[in-house]
Amino acid sequence: MKKILQKIAKKSPWLYRINAGSCNGCDVELATTACIPRYDVERLGCKYCGSPKHADIVLITGPLTARVKEKVLRLYEEIPEPKVTVAIGVCPISGGVFRDSYAITGPIDNFIPVDVNVPGCPPRPQAIIDGIIEAIKIWETRL
Amino acid sequence: MSSFLKIALRNLFKSPTTDPYPFGETFVPKGLRGKAKYNAGACIACRMCEHVCAGGAIQIREVADKSGLEFILWHNTCTFCGLCEYYCPTKAIRLTEDYHTAHRQEDKYRYVEKGFIKYVNCAGCGTPMVPISPELLQRAYENVNKEIEILRHLCPKCRQKRALR
Ligand code: SF4
Ligand code: SF4
Ligand code: SF4
Repeated sequence: MKKILQKIAKKSPWLYRINAGSCNGCDVELATTACIPRYDVERLGCKYCGSPKHADIVLITGPLTARVKEKVLRLYEEIPEPKVTVAIGVCPISGGVFRDSYAITGPIDNFIPVDVNVPGCPPRPQAIIDGIIEAIKIWETRL
Repeated sequence: MSSFLKIALRNLFKSPTTDPYPFGETFVPKGLRGKAKYNAGACIACRMCEHVCAGGAIQIREVADKSGLEFILWHNTCTFCGLCEYYCPTKAIRLTEDYHTAHRQEDKYRYVEKGFIKYVNCAGCGTPMVPISPELLQRAYENVNKEIEILRHLCPKCRQKRALR
């Protein structure tokens, strides 16, 4: 039974989005990738979910500002293992233009293990799709 | 309700609006600013790009054995703003239309654009100097004559000497 479930689950990871203090640029691109039919990520078998408890692949945007840090880490803890983390935009990866600011505590990989990076400010929907495909590949090995 | 049916029926015969990427070809808007590409041959190490870079992505420094300058651009903090290309006098740095940037975490710090400018020796005194690229000459002079071609291989000091002769 477990084997069958594993096989099915591989084909349909659930995506979950965390905004760690992003300027909204990356979130607009994520929304574009998710919601408008032109880029439709659900073709890849994945689906956005509203609860961290259901998530398999986590997409994080933003430089992890000091204000949201605790909340983001708490949320991240709630996501069950195994999970795959994708950093979207230069903010979570390196801090981007906010690097060295007193208001941010990132880069995100100081606190959260990241698997895939999709730099860009913001990245194009196709680049985000590339990143999700990479994440699905990792997801399949973790199940 | 009937209008909804009309639209539904019409859409049934239309081709999908979904961009076929990643299963097929996608489109690139003209003039899209993607990953930067560097050409060491045209670069004159003026460091303008390093100075204006909004993301602090560019570093130009002398290599350990002092044989030249190393250019490094870290894509993971580049904002695709294009300031480097705009201010580069020789267009040695350009933004390409390549925006495919996804990579694994283990490659985070390897995801760079690199280049090396090897010092040349001054034809007069032999001091190592940054070579003067043909792109700079093209920009500075309409016609590059023999005299300029000779000056090009001299360091600033020797150039001054020769010009004041
Ligand atoms: S990477 Fe750029 S667009 Fe994305 S959140 Fe940071 S500043 Fe905004
Ligand atoms: S595009 Fe902007 S951020 Fe990127 S290297 Fe050039 S100046 Fe720096
Ligand atoms: S890439 Fe252009 S702006 Fe940068 S150092 Fe070279 S010549 Fe100057």
